[in-house]
Amino acid sequence: MSALSGNGARMTALARLGRSLNRSRGLVIAMLAFAALFLVVDLISQGPLSYFDVSFLSSGGATLAIAAVGETLVILSGGFDLSAAAVISLVNVVLASNMDMTDMNASVPLWTAAGIGVGALAGAFNGFFIAFLRLQPIVVTLSSMFILQGVTLLVMDKPGGFVSPSLGSAYLGDAIPGVLPMPLVLLGVLGLLWLWLKKSRFGTALYAVGSDPESAASTGLRVDWVRFAVYVLAGGLYGLAGVFISAQTGSGDPLVGNPMLLSIFAAVVVGGTRLGGGRGGPLGSMFGAYILMIVVNILLVLNVSAYYSTIAEGTILVLAVLGASVSRDSVLARQLRAAGRRLGAARRGQLPGQLGGGDRRLKLALPARRRATTAVGFGQRHAETLRFALPAYLCFLGVVLVTEIWLGHAVGNWTYWNSLLVLSCFLAILALGQGTVILTGGLDLSVPWTIGLCGILLAGLVKGSDVALLYALPAVLLVAVLVGLVNGLGIVVLGLSPIVMTLAMNGILQGLALIYSGGTPDGFSSPLLRWFMTAKLVGITPVVFFVAAFVVFAVLLLGRTAFGRRVYGIGNGQRVARLSGVNVDWTLVGVYVLSALCSCLVGVLLTGFSGQASLGMGDDYLLPSIAVVVVGGALITGGRGHYLGMLGGVLLLTALQTLLAGTTLPYATRAILFGLVVLGAVIALRERRAG
Amino acid sequence: MTRISRMLRGAALAAGTLALGAALLAGSGPATPARAAGKHKIFLSMSFIGNDWQAEAANMVKAMALHKSLADKVDLQVQVAGPNAQRQIQQINAMVQAGAEAIVVFPISPTALNQVVKNACDKGVLVFAYDAEITEPCAYNVHIDQTEAGRVTAEWLAKKLNGKGNIVVVTGVPGTSVDNLRTAAAKEVFAKYPDIHVVGEAVGMWSQAVARTELSKILATRTWDDIDGLWMQVGCYTANAMQLEAGKKPEQLLPCAGEGANGGRIQMLPVGTEVEGASSPYAPLGAPRISYASPPYSGALALKLAVQKLEGKDVPKKVILPLPIVTNDTVKLCDQGTWEEMKNGCNAFKPSIVPNPGWFASIFSEQTPEIGLNAALVGQPEL
Repeated sequence: MSALSGNGARMTALARLGRSLNRSRGLVIAMLAFAALFLVVDLISQGPLSYFDVSFLSSGGATLAIAAVGETLVILSGGFDLSAAAVISLVNVVLASNMDMTDMNASVPLWTAAGIGVGALAGAFNGFFIAFLRLQPIVVTLSSMFILQGVTLLVMDKPGGFVSPSLGSAYLGDAIPGVLPMPLVLLGVLGLLWLWLKKSRFGTALYAVGSDPESAASTGLRVDWVRFAVYVLAGGLYGLAGVFISAQTGSGDPLVGNPMLLSIFAAVVVGGTRLGGGRGGPLGSMFGAYILMIVVNILLVLNVSAYYSTIAEGTILVLAVLGASVSRDSVLARQLRAAGRRLGAARRGQLPGQLGGGDRRLKLALPARRRATTAVGFGQRHAETLRFALPAYLCFLGVVLVTEIWLGHAVGNWTYWNSLLVLSCFLAILALGQGTVILTGGLDLSVPWTIGLCGILLAGLVKGSDVALLYALPAVLLVAVLVGLVNGLGIVVLGLSPIVMTLAMNGILQGLALIYSGGTPDGFSSPLLRWFMTAKLVGITPVVFFVAAFVVFAVLLLGRTAFGRRVYGIGNGQRVARLSGVNVDWTLVGVYVLSALCSCLVGVLLTGFSGQASLGMGDDYLLPSIAVVVVGGALITGGRGHYLGMLGGVLLLTALQTLLAGTTLPYATRAILFGLVVLGAVIALRERRAG
Repeated sequence: MTRISRMLRGAALAAGTLALGAALLAGSGPATPARAAGKHKIFLSMSFIGNDWQAEAANMVKAMALHKSLADKVDLQVQVAGPNAQRQIQQINAMVQAGAEAIVVFPISPTALNQVVKNACDKGVLVFAYDAEITEPCAYNVHIDQTEAGRVTAEWLAKKLNGKGNIVVVTGVPGTSVDNLRTAAAKEVFAKYPDIHVVGEAVGMWSQAVARTELSKILATRTWDDIDGLWMQVGCYTANAMQLEAGKKPEQLLPCAGEGANGGRIQMLPVGTEVEGASSPYAPLGAPRISYASPPYSGALALKLAVQKLEGKDVPKKVILPLPIVTNDTVKLCDQGTWEEMKNGCNAFKPSIVPNPGWFASIFSEQTPEIGLNAALVGQPEL
């Protein structure tokens, strides 16, 4: 009897362990992946890893790890924070410009508190707009990213300053000499704090809000306060990351944090946290951060050629995430099973297509004639679309008026409108691709190097000949289709998150562009393409006509075709769409192909505009392509948005940039103004209380 | 229980894939060369490789390492850190751990690397920074005087305009020391001329493509007739192309102080010069220009100096390179682009050899006879 019950107890204990392991699968896999990579480094480097190696590794990844913890909290709550990296830079320059050069023993707790305080303040700014004004996190944090970058440059316009070595020895020294480096202790403390927080009421509330804000609200949670607190907390963590990087570098640099943004997201995703909230945790993100950093060592030890390094990184990112999802329930396994079943059904002749062509539709009794309905006015029918699309246009008109008053030569000057439309064409095209991806709830981060690779390939094939354009253009568009196919299949078949897949793809495309061009892209655009982008036909640049046609095409594609309706259906609920008979998988693949085609087209047009292609020509288009979509009234989580709204966003952003370029304001002020206007535009998009 | 075993299987698979990935990667890159006896192990840590200047500089470093005078002395490994200073810190640490004797680095930040560089120095590793500066005193620096670059070019423009006129300023990457020093020095010069007005200022990010969009924005509310001159860190080639598109004749082109792109150098040649492969706007226009650059050979020179130091020679801590200045009076077309030829004063290359007009032409140094045009283009040293 007793033996039996003991056995049963052991069984339940094991089952419980299994359950909890399964729940934190992301974390476990991230740990194992890190361990595997660590072993690889250990095995292939000369001699065993010493304490110093471990110490260096731990300090190298700490800033990213701390920032990733903050970002994870935001993502768990269902949010998104693009300002993380900008906060790190701000804290760095605040510390470096305020510390006393002569004080070698500045107080560590005081300056740490100051850094965390600055970060928390920035977080409170975000939190206020997101939690209480219910603005979309991605736009608020995009605006605050620009504002913070501007403020950072106002504090310190070039690298310099001083951070007391006392901070360095406190954060980078040894907790136990020869055994335990300080950064690991710091991360350990953060981990313990998290475990405590998770068990607290706030932790439960955090997951609840991230999983389903409405249910959370109806159980009596103050969703707005939870959200606010999350952003403040995350801000504080970015602040701590800023303190750490200050300690590590001993000085200030206004650009030090900014390039970390994408790495932070990658660390979170590699660590097993799902974008969209409710699942995952900061511990995994810490390992995610170290996985990304240790790749640097692996590339070094293997002596991977510089041109291949972004390809290798992209591959490792995909493999790490793929490894994390290998299980019976993974998308890949499900797809394989489904394919197997389909094959079996086909062999047995049971596929719908093999069952004879009779009409098996349900007989629905149609009403004899349509009941006369009261005609619904245009305004009423499109009230929703108008409400979300109008603010962008109103702000656009405001910016044009300000341009007229400030600089003159705007409203009545055809050159102004023509330049505006030419400059808008790139974002207008990207808005269709990125917008469609966002409508399905995804995100395409491979835009920059799809643009770059297409431009470089085109210039290289065309070499200034109009005839060559005839085959070069289809060729590069074909490349884009391939890029889109791989993106889409990675997301649909392998079940990778769009951010991971497209981020990895971006790196791979960068590598391909480098290998193809050998570092210096040659060739230049053909006269026809240059004419298309820069000539004037009765005062109008030819591309303006093209943009007009493109807008009509885009509106019809999203509004009037089955493809468009499927896109909205998927964005509103993938499962519902699937059950309604939408072929979700192929539609998604199509969406990514569309996005790649749009990016590629932009690469072609940019090559015509500039006369040649250059590496990195697409770098400035990623964030704007997302911003215009959201400013135009689309919902970043998908399902809502109209192309005409996005077009309004494009015009607003381009007009604003044109206005700022015409002034002689310093860059810092421009960045702040840019952020404020974008923020102002979305305040008008504010959701009324959910009802 | 089955779930646990499934988890473990998944994990093992994950580890397996990663190991496989690593193995594949090892196959894709060149195999790790066995460390030859007597060779100095030197690493190059680059920044973002995705622009023309960086790629060209990398080619020149590689060519230098391949030159017969160094080939049997140097085992060079090139790594890219991307734009992220954090990763460069980690990379330099890893290089020290991997047994580097010297590290040649394009510093992403002049200050952020100080600690790690000091660390490297403490372990006896030589650190040579090229183009940009590392402020840590133990580092060796090879670069031009950025303040001088800003001042000389601004003075040229002011003189060209007889101290009077409206100018447009296009800067580099805001927040960097290089941009800051150049722009501040130029503005100081312009401030001395009360009749010179800066009517537009744009952030050019050191890219011809960005210069084009920014100038287009400025020209949305102005015309070329409102502007008398341009001071640009990068973009004169593009500005000239845009003026031609707007219907200007070559003799009407505005004076432009700017970068040393080969496209710009070709445009400086008198109209009618026979140039193989030229087609407008990448063609001789007699454009009034002063052309300067941060020369991309600085990394190669840093490598050479590092080897000299390793061999026990004395090397100065700070090497300020002569500012490569080319004006319409000194511009001269090269035939083949060998070092010998450049030594005799040629400084522009035929479009048939250098098809990319944004390619940086300031590749000549008295101190680097090992590398010529082929080094910058394809990483091959002089014979």
